[in-house]
Amino acid sequence: MSFPNPATSVKLVLLGEAAVGKSSLVLRFVSNDFQENKEPTIGAAFLTQKCTIGERTIKYEIWDTAGQERFASLAPMYYRNAQAAIVVYDITKPASFIKARHWVKELHEQASKDITIALVGNKYDLVEDDTEEESLRKVSVEEGKGLAEEEGLLFFETSAKTSYNVNDVFIGIGSKIPEAASAGPNQIHQTNNDGRIDLTSDPNNRPRAAGDCAC
Amino acid sequence: MAFFDSLREKAVSTINSVLQDKKTPPGLTKEQWFCREYSLPDGEVVVAENAAEVAVISDFSTSAYKDLNNPEGRIYLTQHFIVFRDAFDRRNCSFTLHVSTVKKVERLPSKSYAVALAIGTQSKLTFTIYLVGLRSDSEKFAQTLKTVLKRNLPNVKKLQPFVQTCYSEYLLFKNNISSEKIESVPPGGLGLLFKFPGNPKELRDKSKMKLWFDLFRVDGRNLSLVKTPMFYRLIRVGLPNRLRGELWELCCGSMYLRLDYQDEYKEILEKNLHKKSLATDEIEKDLNRSLPEYAAYQSPEGIERLRRVLTAYSWKNPEVGYCQAMNIVVAALLIYMSEEQAFWALNLLCDRIVPGYYSKTMYGTLLDQRVFESLVQNTMPMLWDHITKNDIQLSVVSLPWFLSLYLSSMPLVFAFRILDVFFLQGPQTLFQVALAILKINGEELLKTDDDGSFISIIKDYFQVLDQSAHPSSPNPKYRSITKFQELLVTAFKEFAIVDDEMINTHRNKHRDTIFQNISSFVKRTELRNLPKTVNISSDTLSVIYDRFYSVVQSSVTVGSGSSLMDFNAFRTFMSEICRWVKPESDSGPEDTVFLHHLFSNWDTEGQRALSLSDLVSGLNKLVEPDLMTMITNFFDLYDYKNKGKIDREGILQISEDLLYVTNPWKEGYVLDDITKQAIENAVADEVYKANAARESNDGEILIPSQMDIDKPKFEGLQVERYLQAASTFIQRAFEYAQPEEEELLIKDLAIDNTISHNAALNPNTPVFLNLPTFRMVILADETYELLFSKTLRESIQLDTPLDNKINSMRNLRDMFDGLLADGRKVANKVRRRMDSAASNALHSNNNLSVNSSDNTSLKSGKSKIQEEEEERDDDFGVISIDEKDKDLLLGAEAQVLMDPTVDNASRTNELKKFHDAEAAAGKTVHKFEGDNLIEFET
Repeated sequence: MSFPNPATSVKLVLLGEAAVGKSSLVLRFVSNDFQENKEPTIGAAFLTQKCTIGERTIKYEIWDTAGQERFASLAPMYYRNAQAAIVVYDITKPASFIKARHWVKELHEQASKDITIALVGNKYDLVEDDTEEESLRKVSVEEGKGLAEEEGLLFFETSAKTSYNVNDVFIGIGSKIPEAASAGPNQIHQTNNDGRIDLTSDPNNRPRAAGDCAC
Repeated sequence: MAFFDSLREKAVSTINSVLQDKKTPPGLTKEQWFCREYSLPDGEVVVAENAAEVAVISDFSTSAYKDLNNPEGRIYLTQHFIVFRDAFDRRNCSFTLHVSTVKKVERLPSKSYAVALAIGTQSKLTFTIYLVGLRSDSEKFAQTLKTVLKRNLPNVKKLQPFVQTCYSEYLLFKNNISSEKIESVPPGGLGLLFKFPGNPKELRDKSKMKLWFDLFRVDGRNLSLVKTPMFYRLIRVGLPNRLRGELWELCCGSMYLRLDYQDEYKEILEKNLHKKSLATDEIEKDLNRSLPEYAAYQSPEGIERLRRVLTAYSWKNPEVGYCQAMNIVVAALLIYMSEEQAFWALNLLCDRIVPGYYSKTMYGTLLDQRVFESLVQNTMPMLWDHITKNDIQLSVVSLPWFLSLYLSSMPLVFAFRILDVFFLQGPQTLFQVALAILKINGEELLKTDDDGSFISIIKDYFQVLDQSAHPSSPNPKYRSITKFQELLVTAFKEFAIVDDEMINTHRNKHRDTIFQNISSFVKRTELRNLPKTVNISSDTLSVIYDRFYSVVQSSVTVGSGSSLMDFNAFRTFMSEICRWVKPESDSGPEDTVFLHHLFSNWDTEGQRALSLSDLVSGLNKLVEPDLMTMITNFFDLYDYKNKGKIDREGILQISEDLLYVTNPWKEGYVLDDITKQAIENAVADEVYKANAARESNDGEILIPSQMDIDKPKFEGLQVERYLQAASTFIQRAFEYAQPEEEELLIKDLAIDNTISHNAALNPNTPVFLNLPTFRMVILADETYELLFSKTLRESIQLDTPLDNKINSMRNLRDMFDGLLADGRKVANKVRRRMDSAASNALHSNNNLSVNSSDNTSLKSGKSKIQEEEEERDDDFGVISIDEKDKDLLLGAEAQVLMDPTVDNASRTNELKKFHDAEAAAGKTVHKFEGDNLIEFET
C-alpha cells in the first residue's frame, strides 16, 4: 500500500506595495489565471494550493494582504506565525522596491525568527522586449539581488501575466523550508493533527514529478 | 386632579433623570452625546427642555390613532430642532422636527396645563404639545421656541429646494396627498437607471412602498416625521428600493447635513476639478473594481458618480482621503442614493458612525476587531476556546464584514437589509450580525481546525442565505423561514444585549492596547523610513521620534494630522534638548534668529515646516563629531546659494549666531572644557598644597567632597574668553575675507595703485568668506575651535528623556560637585604634582595622604588612586591643531602683526560692541595664560 506523502502546511504571507501584483501572483499560482481588473483585497484574502517538491507535498496557506499603505498596520495580524513570506515589488516602480526593503526589515524584526522570505520583482513582461537604451525597468536585477544577498532572501523576477517564474518562487520557498519546521511553529496545530493523517483528501492526487507544481 | 398631576409630574421627572443617567461615553461632551443620540448634526445645543405630553394629528390620522393616550416624555429645543422622546419607551414615540418645517405656532387655551402649543408643519401635521411643570418654566420654553424660530428664519429658504429632492414628497404629490408641487422625479440612485438589485416581486417592494406611503401620510416625513413602532417595524422588514436612500439618510442624520450645506458637494467638485492627489490616484485604481457585477459599474455613468463622490470626500477630509473598502461602500450607497445623499452619508459614516475605520491607521477597524473578539469570548466561550486552541485568526474572517459593512461578503440584497438596520441603530448592528453568524454556524465551526476551513464554512453559508433555515420541518410556516431571516432574528433578539453601551465599554477597555500597538508599528515604520544618520544611534532616534510627536500636535494613532513640525514646535523641541535655546517664556525675538535659520535651512521641501526626516537630518549635522565636517556643516548653513562663499551679511550673521549659541558659556552658567581644566588644576593645586603640608605614608589621597572655589573668578575668565573669541572672529573674518574674484581680476588688470591693496576692508567692496578661510578663522581661536569640536555637540543632548528636559541653568556648584564626585581626575592631577615635586626635590617619600581638615570645609569622600601611567591631561590636549592649519595660523598671525591696514578704522559700527569686551579681555587672557604656564612649570 502506498499513500501519497502527507501534505505539510506552510503559512505564507504576501506583502508589498499596492498594485505590484500580489493577488495576481497568487491567482496565477493557484488557478493559473490572470485578470486585468481584480477587486481590491480588503484586509486579506486566503487561498490554498498544494505543491509537490521531490518527495514532499506542501500545502500552501496563502495570506494575500491588501497593499494600500494604511492597511500596513493590519499586516502583523497576517504575518504572525507565517513560515514563509513573499515580498513583492514592481520592477518598473522604484518606490515599490523601497517599500519592499521596509517589509523585509519589518519581517526580520517582527515575524518568526526562521521565516523564509522570497523577494520578487514582478511585471517582468513589461521589460521583456525592451532594448537597453529604452527600458521601463527602473529596478535593476543587481539591485534586487543585492538586497536579497544582504538580507538572506530568495530572489526572483516574475511575470504573473505571462506566468514567467511564478511557480519557481513557490518551489524555491518549499525547498528552503526545513522539513521539521514545515509542520508549523504552532505546536498546537501539530498535535491536533495527531492520529488523523491527512491523506490530502483526494486519493487520486498522486504526487507528481519533482518540481512540477500542482497548479 | 392636582394630586394626580403632581404625581405624574414626579414620575416623569424621575424617569427623565434615569434617562439622562445613561452614560456619556468618554471623549464626548454631553452636547455631542445628545447630538449622536438623536442623529443631530454636531453643534446643536439644548437651549430649553421641559416635560411634555404630545399629540400628533394629521388629516389622515385614523380615529383609533387619535384615541391613543398622549405620549408623555421630554421635549428638547436646540438651535434648529425640536426633539421629543417618550419617557417610557423611545420607540413608542419620538420625533426630531426641523424648525424650518414649522409653519405656525399657536397657543391653545388649556386648563390642565400651564402652556399648550399647537405647531403646524409644512407636512400638514399638527403637533400639540402640552408642557408639564411649573408655569414659569413652561413660559420660558415657549419664549425660547419663539426666539429659535425667529433666528432660524434665514434657513427657511433652504427648505423648498430640499423638499424637491425627497422621494417621499414626490410620492405623496403624485398621489395627490401633498399640495407640495414636486416638478420632477427627485435625483436618486443608480437603481432608477440600472434596476435595483434583487427581484422586486420577491422583495414585495410594492407592498412596502404602500406601507411607507400610509405612514408618511399619518406620521409625516423627512424633516418632520414622528417615529412610532410602525416606523421601526417597516425598517426591519427591509426598505423599498425607491425610498431606501432617503430613509437611510434620515435614520443616520446625514439628511440634516445635506439640508444645511446644499451647495457644498458641487463646490468641492468644482474647486478641485482636475486636481490630483495620492487619494485620487488610489481611487482611480479601484473604480473599475467596485461591485463590478452590478450593471451601473460597467458603464461610464456609474463609474463617474463613484469617482465624483469618492474624490469629493477625499478633498473634504484629506486626513482620511481614500481607503479601500470605501469604494465598495460608496458604490453600494449610490445604487439607492443620489451623489449628494451618498456624499453626506459617507461623511457621517466616517465621522460618527464608524470613526477610524477608514483613517490612515485604521484604528477603528483594529479596535472593533478586538472588541468583537472579546464579545465572542463572552457570549460563546466554547467557540472562543476552540478558536484560540487552533490559533485561528478570527479577525481575518470578520474584518471585511465590518470594513465593508458586509457588502463584500454577502449577496447584496441581504447586505442592504443589514444596512437598513445599521443606519438606524449604528455600529451595534455590525456586532450583532457578526455574532449571529458565528452562533448559527457554531457547530460546523467547532469541527474546523484551521483558518482555511473556518473561512470556507462562512463563505458557503453566505451563499445559501436565501434557503430555508428549517428545510425538513413539517410546518410550512417554519419551512418558509430563510436562513437570512434566522440570522436577523438571532442577531437582533439573541444579541440585543450587545448595545452601544456594551460596545463602548469594551472599546474603552481595549483602546489603549490597540493604540499602543499602532503607535509602535507606526514608529517602527517611520524610523525605518528615515534617512541614514551616522551621528545618531537608533536608540536616540527613537527618543527624537517620541519628542517630535510630543511637540507636534497630531495624533499618530488615529492617523490624522500632517505630522509636520512648525516653527513654534521646533523651538519647543530645541529648547528641550539644547543648552542654548531658552524656553519660550523667557526669551525675546532676538533669541529665535539662529533657530529660524536652522529651521529654514532644514526645511527641504520649502513648506515652512519640518518633517521628522528633515529634523533628523538637520540634527545629524549639528552633532557631527568630526571637527572639520562640523565647521563645513556650519559654513553651509550660511552658504545660501551653494556657491562656497558667504557674503558680508552672512559673516555678520554668523558672528551674531555664534554669540547666541555660546550664550550659556558667555554668561557663565555652563562651563566648557577649558574652564573645567582650569578648575581641576586649581583644585589639584589646593589639594597638593594641603597634602604637602602634612606628610603621610598611607599612599592615599583624600579628595574633599566639597570645596570653596573662587567661582566668580572662573566664570569671569570664561565670560571674557567667549567675548574675546567673538570679537576675534569678526575681526579675522573680515580681515581674510576676499573680494569678489571677478572684481579682483578687473582690478588687477587696471593696475590702479590708488586702491588699497586689501579690498576686503573697504565696506563698499563686496567681500566673501570661503570655506578654507572660515575654517582657518575658527581654528585660530581655541574657544571656538573647542566649540566646534566638542562644546556645541555636547550642548545638544538628543537622548534627553522626554520627561526630563535639559536644564540650561545648571550652575557652577553642580559642576563642581560632579567634578569631585569623579575624584579620580583631580586625584591624578594631585598625584602628578606630587610626583614631579618629589622628583624635583628628590624627596624620598611620595606617598602622601590628604586630610580633610584644611582651609576648605569638607566632608571627606575617599578616592583611591590606581597607580597608572597616564599622560598628563591637564594640558589642553583636547585641542590638537593640524600641522597644516598651524602653518596657516602662524602665517596669519604674522600677517596681523605686520599688516598696517589692520586697523579698527576700516571696520564699521557692527564691530563696535565687541571692542570694549576685547579691551577688557586683553589683560585677563594674559592672566589666564599665565595660569597655564604655571602648570607647565611644575
